[in-house]
Amino acid sequence: MRIAIATPLYPPDTAPAALYAKELAERLSNSHTVSLVVYGHLPEPIEGVHIVSIKKRLPLPLRLLAYTSSLLTETRRTDVLYVINGASVELPLLLVSRLSRTPFIFIAADADAFARADNSRALRFLQRKAMRRSSAFIETLPMPRPEILPLEARPVEALATYERSWQEHLALLTTTYGK
Amino acid sequence: MGNNGLSAWESYRDRELQALTPLLAKHGITLEDEQPHIAGERYLMQAVTTTSGRKLILLGQMNGKRVVIKATTDSEGAKELLHERTCRELLVKIRFAYEVFHTPEEVLFTREEGFTLSVQRFIEQSSTFIGRPLKEQFALALSAFKAQEGAHATTYGHMRRIRGTFGSMSASDYLREFASFRDNVRIHQEVPELVVLLEKAYAVLHEHSETIERYTGFLTHTDFVPHNFRVVGDDIYLLDYSSLRFGNKYEGWARFVNFMALYNPKLEQALTDYVRLNRTPEEEAALHLMRIYRLGEILWYYTRTLSQSTGDLQRLNRARIEFWSKLLTALLSGKRLTNDDIATYTNLRDRLRSEDEKRRQKDLH
Repeated sequence: MRIAIATPLYPPDTAPAALYAKELAERLSNSHTVSLVVYGHLPEPIEGVHIVSIKKRLPLPLRLLAYTSSLLTETRRTDVLYVINGASVELPLLLVSRLSRTPFIFIAADADAFARADNSRALRFLQRKAMRRSSAFIETLPMPRPEILPLEARPVEALATYERSWQEHLALLTTTYGK
Repeated sequence: MGNNGLSAWESYRDRELQALTPLLAKHGITLEDEQPHIAGERYLMQAVTTTSGRKLILLGQMNGKRVVIKATTDSEGAKELLHERTCRELLVKIRFAYEVFHTPEEVLFTREEGFTLSVQRFIEQSSTFIGRPLKEQFALALSAFKAQEGAHATTYGHMRRIRGTFGSMSASDYLREFASFRDNVRIHQEVPELVVLLEKAYAVLHEHSETIERYTGFLTHTDFVPHNFRVVGDDIYLLDYSSLRFGNKYEGWARFVNFMALYNPKLEQALTDYVRLNRTPEEEAALHLMRIYRLGEILWYYTRTLSQSTGDLQRLNRARIEFWSKLLTALLSGKRLTNDDIATYTNLRDRLRSEDEKRRQKDLH
């Protein structure tokens, strides 16, 4: 299957949503053809994954325009689009969803963006609109990766739980799209 | 030249102290008898540091409490104190890493009688950083680095706002600076073999400049070593705000980890292991590259001191160049220093250090 992931955050950004986006792409790329549309100057590469990056240092209108154009191109090449929440992706997504029939799944990975939308009518409008247009809305996320601290015992149990949470998450995404 | 540098520093220091003491008294500040920060090798640091002007760092008492006094009549020194104050205020305003970093209370900032004076409350700590258990050192260092990484200036608006205050470094800036370290070492002709090593290091940085660039835009304290912070409980008090800039995420890590290669190799190992086990291979590479960059800087620093020093101090500075060159050589071949390398150097250093410098170093880290 061909999958595109649209995300407002991606490493070297250190936000949890950035780390989630990269890990999702890495894991999906084991069995699918994956591309990423991200904001960033020099995103961390993933072997076998095509990454389109839009420079965050561009002025806002140019940034949004460039992102919309890239997202449209990638969406037309894919079977399904996974969208990570955040206004800088939701606005381009609303435009792209008018021009493409590719289904998209909305993933609530950025808690901070949700909090910002709670406090802003415009952001809330964008978010709700994107959610309504999505084929599915996922809010259950895998747990964050436990840290391995060199001077302490390896957190074997926590790492196994983390791995299980990812397997369940990938299964959920696949089932959701299958529906 | 070396003795001239020392006597010039001593006459500067005595002249400044004479004028400063009554001014401090006017503000109810008395100077302590022991002043470790204007003794020992301090003069050498002033002589080779051209970017920051001359200033005195003194310990005193004000209203029965201990204070740290930074004083200068030098225009560059005054600029540095003002810059540090602006950085401190801005960081407080944007609540940068406020859960981790704390700021010593400023009790006086004034410009009077030609002096710029910055007086802050002295932060008492129950033990030095190096004197703490290894696990505690690791946890404190890690929380400090994570806090710095929290400030990532990536958007257009961010860059505009911060550039004026903190300055920012790109990969090409790092490469340009490293090339100037190498070229200056070549011009000084003091250590010809070092030029070859720096050439090799430059080639590595140049080859991986994209990795350096990828992790720029992070707020980093470029001199985050134990003498620039104090620890009270779990709180870290930053003492030096002038060394903050936006640059590679691992620049601060690199300075700290290189420092620990000498002072606490177990902590050096733990921190590099942490990056390897928890971060991406690209980030591990970025730390490695920034360690190389920072070693180029320290090697140039000590090369400059050679013409400013004589006798035992000059021999010590040559030993320092040899030690940090060994670390750079080890890093370039993916190795670490041996315990023998460290012991040989520290034994020599302790023999060559002056008594004044030993006093200055006591409880510094």
